[in-house]
Amino acid sequence: MRVMIQLRPSADVVAAVADPAATATVADVADGLQGVVLDSAFTPVAVPRPMPRPGGDPLSLAHDVSYSLAAADATVLVRGEVADDELSTRLSMLSSQHRNVVGVFADPVIEASPTCGGDAPVGDWHDVERLLDVAKLKEEGLDGEGVALAVLDSGINLAHVERVLGRKATLDAKRSWSPSSVKGRPGEFEVDHGSMCAFDTLIGAPQATLLDLPLLLSRRPGGSALDGLLSDAVAAYAHLRTVIDAQPADTKALVVNNSWGSFSPHWDFPPGHPGNYSDNPAHPFNLIVAALDGAGADVLFAAGNCGRDCPDGRCAFPERPIVGANSHPRVLSVGGVDTRGERVGYSSQGPGRLAVRKPDLCAYTHFAGSQAFGAGSPDSGTSAACPVAAGLVTAVRTAWPASRLSPAQLRSLLCRTADDRSDVGFDNDYGYGVIDAAGVIAALRRKAKRAA
Amino acid sequence: MLVTVRLPPGATIDDARERLGLAEREVDLDYGLVLIDPAEGLYALRVADEAGGRMEGEAGPYADPVIEPYGPVKRSPD
Repeated sequence: MRVMIQLRPSADVVAAVADPAATATVADVADGLQGVVLDSAFTPVAVPRPMPRPGGDPLSLAHDVSYSLAAADATVLVRGEVADDELSTRLSMLSSQHRNVVGVFADPVIEASPTCGGDAPVGDWHDVERLLDVAKLKEEGLDGEGVALAVLDSGINLAHVERVLGRKATLDAKRSWSPSSVKGRPGEFEVDHGSMCAFDTLIGAPQATLLDLPLLLSRRPGGSALDGLLSDAVAAYAHLRTVIDAQPADTKALVVNNSWGSFSPHWDFPPGHPGNYSDNPAHPFNLIVAALDGAGADVLFAAGNCGRDCPDGRCAFPERPIVGANSHPRVLSVGGVDTRGERVGYSSQGPGRLAVRKPDLCAYTHFAGSQAFGAGSPDSGTSAACPVAAGLVTAVRTAWPASRLSPAQLRSLLCRTADDRSDVGFDNDYGYGVIDAAGVIAALRRKAKRAA
Repeated sequence: MLVTVRLPPGATIDDARERLGLAEREVDLDYGLVLIDPAEGLYALRVADEAGGRMEGEAGPYADPVIEPYGPVKRSPD
């Protein structure tokens, strides 16, 4: 266990430690502390003595207390390590055998706070463009031209997306689809979550053809404006099956972005019940997801916003929050990192419920992008990470249709080339790592060379 | 709730109702008969809870949970 040891050496040593102009080493301050491996690289630190007013409590945080660094008052802090199996014995020996030991304290690992909901944007969408190597993708002819990219969400406002992008974007109204209860035309819905997702897909695949499927606008009795029922997603997938089946066999390419999921077991049968969704690969939605993958579509799901550091207030699964199709073995489950490559605190951690190794990987989120929620608000949630990854997948599909690289092969390639954030390969925080466009491009070049 | 049924190609929602013993009022006709897996001839219907409760085996019933965005939304609940 790592510990901090507070010592009271002689006054001249304290004075040397407290003097910024002087240099005091660990050996000057502490020597012969049996059972402690002192950290010689740590410069001893002078600790001031609390000096309360007469009658005051020196340990009170409320009372008026001054602090003295005078040599006669101050103490000195060093750090070291004590073997875990000797901890209690060594700690009591330190206090009893060394009169100058004032106290021994834990020295816990500290980490920077992760990005959480409500935090300001970390970078902007041009940073994401750079991190995705969009210029290099374009050089390779991978810009999404002619590839259908379905955004299953709250509807797209194409005019807003184009205004913020500063250029035209393509949306195919004929191949779009709405639940019967949803009024409105493809590409003309209010600016909201769906527009954010559409914008974020176009960062990596600027020439993609958007399909608008506003299933989250489906109304149900007692529901909110932006939620739907899973049965609407079943119907949307049935439509997408007709879309991909209508494509020529040798050029099939359909990317499906799903930045949504189930936050609560409240509306589900319990795990083990044959009608359950969260843990049941035989649920109709999980079946139709597998069938669409089998037909050649790339299906991506957000991992969810129930990360342990700062979960969304709606999270109600007591554990393993990556549920149902979001954890399906035949989809790419996407967690979130900020543009510094650090996992955002709300990104759901594995293991998943249908497949254990979830999320598969992470992509960028929490950046200034679509302005769907105002100029200062970030595109956030794994909702933004998923379309960023979907953009890269769509870019790849420009030259690599499913007949040349199956959805399973592409998922494998993305995971294999991801920038590993741990030393053991897969981990429950980052999956196989952060999506790495340069690695993907290099792998595709090798694959093309082998095939030539 | 969702229920499933296996039917031959070209089947209609009336074929599904007949196979599952469902009255017209128990089925969400706007939702219709949704093809899950063409290779298997597997379809889904959205039905009233009471009707779903009568199903057995592969037919279901299956949960139809609420789904929500995994990110910010602009509009407040209505």
